[in-house]
Amino acid sequence: MGRRVSDRTAKLEETDGDAGAAETTYAEAIRRALRDAMAEDESVILLGQDTALGFPFGATRDLVERFGAERVIDTPISEAATMGCGIGAAVHGLRPVVEVDYAGFLLLAFDQLVNNAAKLRYMSNGQLRVPIVVRVGQGPLGAFAAQHSQSLQGWLANVPGLCVCTPATCQDAYETMRWSLRQGDPVVFNEDMRLYRSRGPLVEREPSGGTEARVVRPGRDATAIVFGYGVPRAHESAAVLAAEGIELEILDLRFLSPLDVPAIRRSIRRTGRVVCVSDDPLLGGFSATLATIATEQGAGFLESPVVRLGARHTPVAYDRELEKLTYPSSESLATAVRHLVAGGATA
Amino acid sequence: MTTGEATLDARALNLELYRSMLAIRRFEEAAYRAYESGEVVGTIHASIGQEAVAVGVISSMRPQDLVFSHHRGHGHALAKGVKPEQMFGELLARAYGASGGKGGSMHITDVSVRFMGSYAVVGGPIPLAVGVALAAQRRREDSVTVVFFGDGAINQGVLYESLNLASIWRLPIVFVCENNGFAISVPTSYATGGAGVTARASAFGLRAEQVDGQSVSAVRAAAAELIEGARSEGRPALLEALTYRFVGHSRGDPAHGLYRTKEELDQWRERDPLIVHREEAGLDSDTCDAIDSETTQSIDDAFDIARAYPRVPQDMLMRDVWGDA
Repeated sequence: MGRRVSDRTAKLEETDGDAGAAETTYAEAIRRALRDAMAEDESVILLGQDTALGFPFGATRDLVERFGAERVIDTPISEAATMGCGIGAAVHGLRPVVEVDYAGFLLLAFDQLVNNAAKLRYMSNGQLRVPIVVRVGQGPLGAFAAQHSQSLQGWLANVPGLCVCTPATCQDAYETMRWSLRQGDPVVFNEDMRLYRSRGPLVEREPSGGTEARVVRPGRDATAIVFGYGVPRAHESAAVLAAEGIELEILDLRFLSPLDVPAIRRSIRRTGRVVCVSDDPLLGGFSATLATIATEQGAGFLESPVVRLGARHTPVAYDRELEKLTYPSSESLATAVRHLVAGGATA
Repeated sequence: MTTGEATLDARALNLELYRSMLAIRRFEEAAYRAYESGEVVGTIHASIGQEAVAVGVISSMRPQDLVFSHHRGHGHALAKGVKPEQMFGELLARAYGASGGKGGSMHITDVSVRFMGSYAVVGGPIPLAVGVALAAQRRREDSVTVVFFGDGAINQGVLYESLNLASIWRLPIVFVCENNGFAISVPTSYATGGAGVTARASAFGLRAEQVDGQSVSAVRAAAAELIEGARSEGRPALLEALTYRFVGHSRGDPAHGLYRTKEELDQWRERDPLIVHREEAGLDSDTCDAIDSETTQSIDDAFDIARAYPRVPQDMLMRDVWGDA
């Protein structure tokens, strides 16, 4: 099996030797994590469309040259069967990474993910384990329109039996992928597509933590609870606010399930003000869960009611301005924080 | 019945096939009684009338081979070697049950005999079986995976995605369609365009055969060839067994009167797999009666064994969800 891979792959930039703390991209950090995991553990295989070529974001490129078509497996456009196949292979001793380029396409595989990956261990009383990692491209890419621009992390977090991670930096993407490929149960690895070309330092080291949330910018005045692309966006807001004398604390959740509730509690009790941000719609969105938890955990410590920011309740338009208007922005977060600090309750 | 290549002589084999089918029949009758009495809750889907398919296919498999099943899966589990007492335990929600009382009739799993579970989303386990076959191929295992599904699954898209994957990767897998003519109440003939599931499988490049699902010998012969072809030549295959359930879909519908006629049911009852096998194998009634009383007793004993165990404890609620929990 396995098809001949075009010579084009070999001509792609060779970056394997580029180790150390140099800057790289988020997509390249994922690629290196996959490469290192595959070198360490022969049971790791990749399953997905255009995986050998590394299309469309380069996160698997050149891996077929190193590990062969037995392990870097191109699949037909068959999302449901590919997901099921990955789950079955996981049950029987392999450790598949199933790649779903866009969250919209994940819906074709949702039955397999939710009914099988998430439930096999429980239904079988622990006899079956599903050590699979599902890579999903989330969020908008920029003018790709409604079906390619979705933020379904909250749906995934609602499924018992799935671990849901949302790394925001090159370093965290690398370490969390390495961590994910050592778990015994399914992990959905959400890659916000706006991050693929973002650059940052990367040290290719052993995972330094687990599923804990992290304060990535301490601040005394308010907490922004964010994940994925929400993290760099909150940094932009924080920089603007700092110039105004407002210090925003940024709590990067990293994982939506399990959710680090104690970290939320600690941050709120320091700042007394909180904005919960998620790029899915407010109605039924993950920001609702965060706001509820923040309210419960902040009882007695909150100086203002909890505020949340989410997407407008619309499919995503092709037009770039309309797309931009759909989501929270660094400006809307900064505005919300200013209101909070000024004692107002509305964003 | 144990799986594995029979080295028994023909008569001993035929008696064993009979005993295995009868055990399924008596198990499901006892399960039904326990459901009626309220001891078994939820729902159960009996395969009474279809036993020759489970026994015919699985008796052609080797111990290392793997089976995936569906909501009407008691027969497959028993034929693969799951203990009837642990199956009753599951139906009775005992921690002793095959799935610890957390799966129930539709989710029986016993990895120790490579019974990889029964699944309740129609067509859902089919790609899982493909994945197990892929892993077996990559790990150079000498195993074949069989996945059972009903005619209700043959209009699910994931079946065809799965047939295609098995074909392009030449996986050691046999898809077994138990065509009992109805998906609950909807006739297969109404629901299925074209020439049916074997023609569809052929179009994907699989070997595909249709067999009389009431004759355990016929099923066994067809299955053995396809399974060994999958094993030695990497030729995935599909077997369609024509059969009939002598009972309703579940406990909510009658055997006839709603969507099937009594005449049709009676015609199929004449081809009860137990009767067909007695005739085909020339088994005498004294021997069959003796097997029946032994089997009935052992099934009754299995029920009593299971019932004596305690219910699944409450601290199992959050166990085996994810990670260390």
